[in-house]
Amino acid sequence: MPRAKTRKEEPVEAGSDTVMEEAPTSHQPESRDDMSVDQDENDEAGEAEEDEIEEEEEVQRVRLLPGSTPTAASFEFLNEGHTLGNALRYIIMKNPDVEFCAYAIPHPSEAKMNVRIQTFEGTTAIEALEKGLRDVQDLCDVVSDKFIDAREKFVAGASS
Amino acid sequence: MDYDPMVMDDAEALGPVVKISQADSVRVKYELSNADIAFANSLRRVMLAEIPTIAIDLVEISENSSVLADEFIAHRMGLIPLNAEGVESLLYARECDCDGCCEHCSVKLLLHAKCEGDENMPVFARDLVPFGDRINQVVGTPVLSDALRQGSLILKLRPGQEIKLECIAKKGIAKEHAKWAPSAAIGFEYDPHNKLRHIDLWFETDAKTEWPPSDYAEWEEPPQEGEPFDYDAVPNRFYFNVETAGNLPPDTIVSEGIKVLQQKLAGLIHELAEDEGGDGMNGEYNGPRSPEYGTGADGFGGYTTPFGNGGNQSSWGGAGGTTPYGTTPYGAGQSQWS
Ligand SMILES: [Zn+2]
Repeated sequence: MPRAKTRKEEPVEAGSDTVMEEAPTSHQPESRDDMSVDQDENDEAGEAEEDEIEEEEEVQRVRLLPGSTPTAASFEFLNEGHTLGNALRYIIMKNPDVEFCAYAIPHPSEAKMNVRIQTFEGTTAIEALEKGLRDVQDLCDVVSDKFIDAREKFVAGASS
Repeated sequence: MDYDPMVMDDAEALGPVVKISQADSVRVKYELSNADIAFANSLRRVMLAEIPTIAIDLVEISENSSVLADEFIAHRMGLIPLNAEGVESLLYARECDCDGCCEHCSVKLLLHAKCEGDENMPVFARDLVPFGDRINQVVGTPVLSDALRQGSLILKLRPGQEIKLECIAKKGIAKEHAKWAPSAAIGFEYDPHNKLRHIDLWFETDAKTEWPPSDYAEWEEPPQEGEPFDYDAVPNRFYFNVETAGNLPPDTIVSEGIKVLQQKLAGLIHELAEDEGGDGMNGEYNGPRSPEYGTGADGFGGYTTPFGNGGNQSSWGGAGGTTPYGTTPYGAGQSQWS
């Protein structure tokens, strides 16, 4: 055999390599880490791990950006992108009480997506956002049902 | 707000329509009409990148006398499609309580092959055998969709060569690594006659003769000779072609894609509803007594940079009622959003 196998000399399980179980669960930083970095610096080393777990549940994925008023607000979504942004923007613009809605991803290396909503009197930006989210959800329901129907029809048509 | 969000096109009050033109074990071709391009594209993106599947994530090689390097093989292992049916019952390893991995968040697979004949021996995905405790008997088994049921070729061994490795397959999404993609490809097409002029076709003398028409060209009315350009027109019919890599049936990819999108939305709606019950949009990241403001200047906790509005020292987000925001009715410690 041309290739020397150094591992062969060692006991089967005790290679000097990292044991598989100890390897990190993912190469990607967990999303909450982005947020907890600043916090961790102030923590005692021993507490850091525990705090991190607590923080995990409190990661806030939507926040209101400064300078917002009830009828004109900007929201920042964490870990969202064009997938949600464009569909949401479209459906919010369908709301006749909404004067303006747009979305942006300010920087490609930050997993953040901003949505700007300006409404007419009678509703607030946050209500429009919530309604938008529910409307996309309803739209998903309809398309999902239609797809299942179409699929059943197709199968029935193919077998008959 | 008496409008119907389902009505995508004012002319037709039908709502979205789905028509399937082909469906088998490998692909489903369907047309989504009366929908908006924004939604159609969201569906495409979510099917591509956010459906959870299972793929090999860790490989421990104990014997490799093949001509391929360990890391090369490890990479190939990751790309082998594994059956992802029932992956919902598996946890993400990072969310599991175990230390590293266990049967609730992973599937272990073993590959051990030695060429003992005189001819080169191909090693296929079917030689990969799951072992240890498993959540069910399907999830994590290699996909064998070819006629001979061999699965993908991993490597070839010359006489006397041996490969022995242990893999841990985990749940993940293609946003993290493409090996978790359920689809080999997703075709997405609209406006086959390019009436909307979203595409600028390159040509030598005539685009019409040099570009073959799309399969869907006959589904739509070709442009009339001398027809004026309709600058108000928007795409309305979208042709999807979802081809599976074998880990999920093609129609499951579509329904799972929609499901993922809905979960995303449900999570956000839940969070907004929760926020409204609390102290407003800035959440309770630092507890309700956080020095931050209802303007949400510092929803994520404790930035004290001069740019982050949350720091008390910053020029924008001071703690008193002296900032431009602090004196507004919206910024005084509690937001008016609830
Ligand atoms: Zn586990």
